[in-house]
Amino acid sequence: MNDSTIVTDSTKRFKWVGTRPIRPDGVPKVTGRALYGADLKLPGMLFGKVLRSPHAHARIVSIDTSAAEKLPGVKSIVTSADLPAQKFDYIGPERVAVNFWHVTRNILAREKVLYEGHAVAAVAAISASVAQHAAELIKVEYEVLPHVIDVDEAMADNAPLLFEDMITRGIEPAPTKPSNISKKLEFAIGDVEAGFKQADVVIEHTFKTAAVHQAYIEPHACLAKAEADGQIEIWSSSQGHFAMRALTAQIIGAKLGDIRVTPAEIGGGFGGKTVTYLEPLAAMLSKKAGLPVRLNMSREDVFRASGPTSGASMWVKIGVKKDGTITAGEGIFKFQAGAFPGSPVMNGCLCAFAPYAIPNQHAIGYDVVSNRPKAAAYRAPGSPIAGYAVESVIDMCAKAIGMDPLELRIKNVAGIGTPTISGPKHAHAGFKETLEALYNHPGYKAPLGKNQGRGVACGYWFNGGGESSATMQINADGTVLVATGSPDIGGSRASMAIMAAETLGIDYSNVRAIVTDTGNVGYTHVTGGSRVTFATGIAVVSATNSAIKELCKRAAMIWDVDPDGVIWEDGFAKPASSNVGDFKPLSLKELAAKAAATGGPITTSAGVNPGGQAPGFSAQFYDVEVDPDTGRVDILRAVCAQDVGRAIHPSYVEGQLQGGVAQGVGWALNEEYIYNAKGQLDNPGFLDYRCPVASDLPMIETIMVEVPNPVHPYGAKGVGEACICPPMAAISNAVTAATGMRMAELPMSPPRVLKALSS
Amino acid sequence: MSARVVFTQGFARRYTDGVREFEVEAKNLRGVLKAMDALYPGLMHHLEEETNVAINGELHETGYFQPVPPGAEVFFIPRIEGG
Repeated sequence: MNDSTIVTDSTKRFKWVGTRPIRPDGVPKVTGRALYGADLKLPGMLFGKVLRSPHAHARIVSIDTSAAEKLPGVKSIVTSADLPAQKFDYIGPERVAVNFWHVTRNILAREKVLYEGHAVAAVAAISASVAQHAAELIKVEYEVLPHVIDVDEAMADNAPLLFEDMITRGIEPAPTKPSNISKKLEFAIGDVEAGFKQADVVIEHTFKTAAVHQAYIEPHACLAKAEADGQIEIWSSSQGHFAMRALTAQIIGAKLGDIRVTPAEIGGGFGGKTVTYLEPLAAMLSKKAGLPVRLNMSREDVFRASGPTSGASMWVKIGVKKDGTITAGEGIFKFQAGAFPGSPVMNGCLCAFAPYAIPNQHAIGYDVVSNRPKAAAYRAPGSPIAGYAVESVIDMCAKAIGMDPLELRIKNVAGIGTPTISGPKHAHAGFKETLEALYNHPGYKAPLGKNQGRGVACGYWFNGGGESSATMQINADGTVLVATGSPDIGGSRASMAIMAAETLGIDYSNVRAIVTDTGNVGYTHVTGGSRVTFATGIAVVSATNSAIKELCKRAAMIWDVDPDGVIWEDGFAKPASSNVGDFKPLSLKELAAKAAATGGPITTSAGVNPGGQAPGFSAQFYDVEVDPDTGRVDILRAVCAQDVGRAIHPSYVEGQLQGGVAQGVGWALNEEYIYNAKGQLDNPGFLDYRCPVASDLPMIETIMVEVPNPVHPYGAKGVGEACICPPMAAISNAVTAATGMRMAELPMSPPRVLKALSS
Repeated sequence: MSARVVFTQGFARRYTDGVREFEVEAKNLRGVLKAMDALYPGLMHHLEEETNVAINGELHETGYFQPVPPGAEVFFIPRIEGG
């Protein structure tokens, strides 16, 4: 527990909201009994194996599965020929708006393989070893093609083309020549040229960031069972089982109603499990074999074939007056999409300058394909990358005008009514309060030693709302079941139970929150975008209010009064006034016991699509020490302030902030994909892909600034993403403060820092 | 009551001949979508499929039921997905 909460809305009015009860999934997880995707088994289950490309870029001349088919124990083999053709269109079912022409080619390569690790075929057999042997017997003839990895090289005129007919979208008139640039985006407000003319200091710089993986501990895994009549059941670790249902249905050509997906526990996702790799393959293998099939990725598969976030090449220019007023900001953001279009470059453009009131802004984004795995979402996708460049240049501006970097940010911070680069004005407060909380932290002015430096940065994320569902059952003994469709990644079962207990006025221990399958709760969008506590929380409160209405109706029946004459207070039905009559209040437990007599089971549900989510804003400072002999950067202190709306369960909010910081430290200092000359990944494992471990980090201090969101019944705002935006720039700014040199490429690994120090 | 409807430059270039701002009479977003579809047949589909909306700065999915207060700014922006 970290006792550093700053509460701006200080009225204590809740019994459960803001407390720290034990999470419902805690005991099974710490005792090793929780079931993840790879733990699941069914009688007769087959073991799947995916054959992957050894080449970064090659044309598939032929695939011969005949030898594998003859191997005893092999039950089914799937290639792209088994999947239906998909229309080239960026619109998908439900809210999964992607281009399935691309998605199906990522699930199984068709004309070409586009990265090392690209899936080519899948087999199912009676054992993992037979499946492995069968995969080795599949003969694939390749015509190896030149490849390109780096985003700047992929944009060059003579770059090898991944798609020979790709014409850049967003340019008018449309280019006549194909390229690897899938899309150009442009956003602007004001007049940047006029803004730069008003500035006393104008600073511009280029930056590069490496692609980094979400590094979830649990590799992707699923189990599928297809019946002869078309029904399919899937158990899967994902961030959204409704999304897995929709994606699988589209890829294999099934109906939504024929597929039921049950969420397994999930060992981390951070955005990387909002997309599908295995579920359609397992379903097709099962359909062909007539038996259940489980597919797991190895750690190497995860690195080689699942989506990291983009690496990028960027240029940012900012103008500032001597008094600290930022007059203009401009940026060009080139993002790797991986092998198929769809990097988060739009988000990067929209978030880059969002924390600040800058009247003149211009952002250009390029979505660029290259021969690496298709990028997937990673916490606040796009924002941390663009933010690294912008927050670095803001730091350079502060130094140039001799102003404290946090004071410069406070002077320019966005507030309600500040226009954003996409046009709408900010509608929520919390940014200024967060910056001031960080500025007032006692560590911010603490002295530093030799080779040490302090850096600050801010970060912004939209946060999400959208479709969520919940059901509530009042059990006969007065306990309550809350079921939602939101896979629990960050402790959401606890926060759902807290909100239900608070609304009902009963003890937290009497509420059991679960995550249920697609057949038992209404459609719920993915656990992503920091949307669950907000949107699914509203669904839970809505279902709870319906239950309260029903409980009051049942009490009215018992008392023989009008239902309008009954109110609900602190877990009891009570007469609304003395005019209604003199009745002893009825508890939830008493009413539950009379459910049969008063009309049957008390069960309610809610399906909502809330908007009005408030954005996330985080400000952080880091103290670092740079070893001049080795180039190693040690994090001495990390302080994260964030506007959390209201912390429903403060421990899990702190956990989100600390997790974002820890991942940001890895992004800043060590994490990168290292490709060899053949375009093959040389570090597909945690020994060589260096994530921070506990001994790399100090205790991460959190400051939870509570500026409640008036749209949410308990004031919640999303907290899981804004926290990963500031670390890269803040640590880079700290390294600059310690060494006097500007590191403009991530990661700032020891060899790179040492090289910079030497030069 | 009238609302001010605004599109991004890119969206306007694609679908509304570059015109970015409109005044429409509507009580809710459904009314806004209908009014815009009357001006540019088929636009409602593009708005529903491709955009989110900020009503006086508050972000929403582009649905029908969101109320549009008198004098509101209704800004359609590209759809955003998180991690």
